[in-house]
Amino acid sequence: MNKSALSTQLKRLLPRGRVLDSPAQLAGYASDALGYKSYQPDAVVIPADAEELVGFMKGARQLGVPVILRGAGTSLSGGPVAAQGGVIVHTSGLKRIREINVEGFWCEVECGVGLNALDAELKPHGVFYPPDPSSGPVCTLGGNVASNAGGAHCFRYGVTSNYVLGVEVILLDGSVHRFGGPAGGRGPWREDWKRFMIGSEGTLGAFTRFWLRLLPLPEKVWTFRATYPDLRSIEAAIHALVAHSSYPAAIELLDPRGVAMVESSQMAVGLPKGSFMLLTEIDGPAALVNARVEPVAQALRQAGSSDVVFSDEDAMRQKLWKARKAAGGLLGQLSPDYVVQDAVIPKSALAEVLQLVYDEADAAGIRAVNIFHAGDGNLHPNFLFDSRVPGDLEKVEIISERLMRRVIEVGGTLSGEHGIGNDKAAYMPLVFGPDSMRLQWAVPAAFNPSHQLNPLKVFGNRRFAA
Amino acid sequence: MKTIAPMQAERLFTPFLDAVDGTLCLPASATFADIHAQAAAHRLRFPLIVDAAATLREQVAAATHAPASCRFGPYCDNLLGINWRLPSGRLVRIGERVVKTTTGYDWLRFLLHSGRRFGEPVDYVLRLRPDCGFHLEARLDGDITALRDCVRRLMHSGWMHWWDAVDFLAEGAAFSVRVAIHCPPDEAPIFAAQLSCIASETHTRLTLQDNPPPSFDGLPDVVVKTTPDRAIGLACELARDAVRCVALCYNGVVHVHLNVGEDVAERAHTLMQPHLGELHALGGDWHSRWLPATPPTVTESQWIETLEQAIHGS
Repeated sequence: MNKSALSTQLKRLLPRGRVLDSPAQLAGYASDALGYKSYQPDAVVIPADAEELVGFMKGARQLGVPVILRGAGTSLSGGPVAAQGGVIVHTSGLKRIREINVEGFWCEVECGVGLNALDAELKPHGVFYPPDPSSGPVCTLGGNVASNAGGAHCFRYGVTSNYVLGVEVILLDGSVHRFGGPAGGRGPWREDWKRFMIGSEGTLGAFTRFWLRLLPLPEKVWTFRATYPDLRSIEAAIHALVAHSSYPAAIELLDPRGVAMVESSQMAVGLPKGSFMLLTEIDGPAALVNARVEPVAQALRQAGSSDVVFSDEDAMRQKLWKARKAAGGLLGQLSPDYVVQDAVIPKSALAEVLQLVYDEADAAGIRAVNIFHAGDGNLHPNFLFDSRVPGDLEKVEIISERLMRRVIEVGGTLSGEHGIGNDKAAYMPLVFGPDSMRLQWAVPAAFNPSHQLNPLKVFGNRRFAA
Repeated sequence: MKTIAPMQAERLFTPFLDAVDGTLCLPASATFADIHAQAAAHRLRFPLIVDAAATLREQVAAATHAPASCRFGPYCDNLLGINWRLPSGRLVRIGERVVKTTTGYDWLRFLLHSGRRFGEPVDYVLRLRPDCGFHLEARLDGDITALRDCVRRLMHSGWMHWWDAVDFLAEGAAFSVRVAIHCPPDEAPIFAAQLSCIASETHTRLTLQDNPPPSFDGLPDVVVKTTPDRAIGLACELARDAVRCVALCYNGVVHVHLNVGEDVAERAHTLMQPHLGELHALGGDWHSRWLPATPPTVTESQWIETLEQAIHGS
C-alpha cells in the first residue's frame, strides 16, 4: 500500500484522532530516547481515546503494515520504533486516571497517563505507585508496563511487574480482553495471562488500561551520599547496605568517570576526583527511620568512606541526588551519541564486570561511564561515541557483545528494566537454549503469530510478512 | 552486528547459596527446615512460609501468598528462577538468579501457579531477606468493628511497609488480628509502642510475644484472591461455614482451612459459588489444591493449545 492510500485508510479508522504523515511530523517518531538509530515510520496515528484505539486495532490487520505502540518514546533499547516501517500508534490520547481506590490500594489508569502525573494525583491520598524510572516526568504507564520498567528505588520496592494487578489488551483481531483487575488475580481465566503481557514490549497486543497496586506514602526519607577511593571499598559498602536491617530503598553508584563528568560540568557538587559515589535512601515512619540513621552512616563509614553526608530535609536531599540525576543528562551533552546497556549481574561479580567494561572500552578508545542501580546489580554502562565516525558504533557493539557474554557467564541477564527492544535482540541466543527458546517463541505465536505488532523486537527474527 | 549462534544446550541452575545477593537455589522438595539450615548461617531468611512440613513445591501449589507477603509480596516476586521439567522429561531453566529481568516473556510468573498442567518445578531460586534476629508477634482482640478499624490503622500509614504480616483471623464468630514483626532487637520497643498506640485508639486488646516459636497456619484448602478492602468481610462470611479463615489483609487474600475428612471439592464449590460473580468482576479468583483447575474458556483454549504445542515439542 502506498503512503497516500495508507493515510486515507488511517483517517477512516480514526475519525476523531489524528493521522500524521508529513516527513517533518514523522521525524519526531524516528527514534527512541537514544537516537543513534533512526527508522522513519510510514505514518503516526494518535487515537482520541480507548474506543478509537479499539477501532484502529480492528482495522489494523487489513492495513497489512507493522503496527508499533508508543507512549512517550523514552525507551533506551529501541522498543517503540518502526524498525520494519509501518504505523506508530501514539497513545497520548488515553490519559485518564479513571479511579483511585485508597481503601483497596489500587488505581485504574489509561495507558497514556504519565508516571509523574499519576504520582501527583496519588500524593494527596497518602499513597504512591513505587516504580520510578528516571524518565518519570515524561514516560507513560503504557511504556512502563510494556518494558517492565524499574528505577532507583526498585531495590526495596521492586519493578513494574510487582505492581500490575490487571491489564486490558486489544489483540490484532480487535478482541478486547481484561486479564486481572483490581484484585490482581486471574479473573475468569484458567491461566494468568497478564504475566505474559507485562514486559511484552508491544509485541502481543495494545494496552488500553491498567489496574495498579499502591502503597502508603513513607512518612520520612533520609538520603545519604558517600564517596569511596576505590572499587573494593564501595563494593564493601554495597554489600553492607544490601544486608542491612534498615532495608534501604535505593542503592545507587556513580563511578569515577561519571564523577569526573559531573565535576567538570556546571553541575559540579564538589565530589573528590577519582572517587566512587554511592547514594542510598532509607524511608519509613519517623520514629523508626530516625533510629536507623546513625547505623546506616556507620555502615557507610566502616566500608571506608570519610565523606558521608546525609539529610532528611528536602532541599538538601535534592542536592545529594544532584550528581546522580545530572549525570544522565550530561551524557547527551558530552557526546553526540551513546548506548546504555542494562545487564543485571550477581553483585559478587561487580568488580570483575566493571573492570571488563573499562578494559574493553579503553582498548577500543570508547568513553565509558557507569551510573547504575548497585543494590540490584543492575549495570548501566554508557558507551559514548559519534555515529558519524566510521567504525565507532561497531566498536561499541563489539564491546557490548563481549560484556553480555561475560554477564551471562557469571549468571546474570541481558536486561533488568529497559527491555530488549531492537537493540539487544541479537544477544537473546546467549540466554535461551533450544527448548526454552521454543517456549519464548510460543508466546507471540499465540497472540501475534504474524508479528505484525512491533516486529524485529525482543527476538530479531520476528519479521512481519504481510 | 554479527549474528550470535544459538545455544545447543539448556542453561540450568545448579544448587547454590549466594550470601551477597541473598539468593538460594535448592530442590522444590525442600522444606522450611532445609531453607533455614542454609540461610540462617548467613543471617538470611526466607519469610514466605505457610507450612513447616510441606515442601516448597506443595506450598507454591497451594497458595500464591503467605502472611509475610504483606511486606515482601507474593511467591512469584520472591522466587526468581526455576528448573522446570517439561512433560517430555527435559529440563529448562526459567527465570534468573538476579532480582530484575526483562529478558524475554515472563514464563516464570505464568508457570509458578499453573499446577502441573505444563510440567513441574524441580528447583527454585529463592530471594532471601536479611535476618534481623528478633521476632515480635502481636495479637489484637476486640469486636469486629474495632478490629476493622485496627487493621485500617495498621495498613493506612507508613508503618504498613514494616509489618511482616497483618492477618485477620476468623474462626466461626471469633475474630482477632495478628501482626508479625521482624526487626533488630533494639527496634522492638519502637514497634511495640506503635502497636500499643493503635490498640488504645481502636479499643482493642493487645498481647505481645517476643521471639515466639515459629508457627504456621498450614496449607490452605481454598485460596481466594480479592481486593484488600474486601478481604475481612469475605473471611468473616466464609468462616461462618468453613472452619477457619486467615485474611492476608494487604494482599486481599483469604486462606480457608476446612475440616479434616470433609468432602473438600463439594465444600469448596458450595462456599465459593455465591462469590464468583464479584470475584470475576474484580479480576480476582479462587483455587483449591484439592481440585483441578477451572476449565479454560474457548478463547484461551486456542492460546493454551499453541503453548502446549511448544511445550510438548520440547
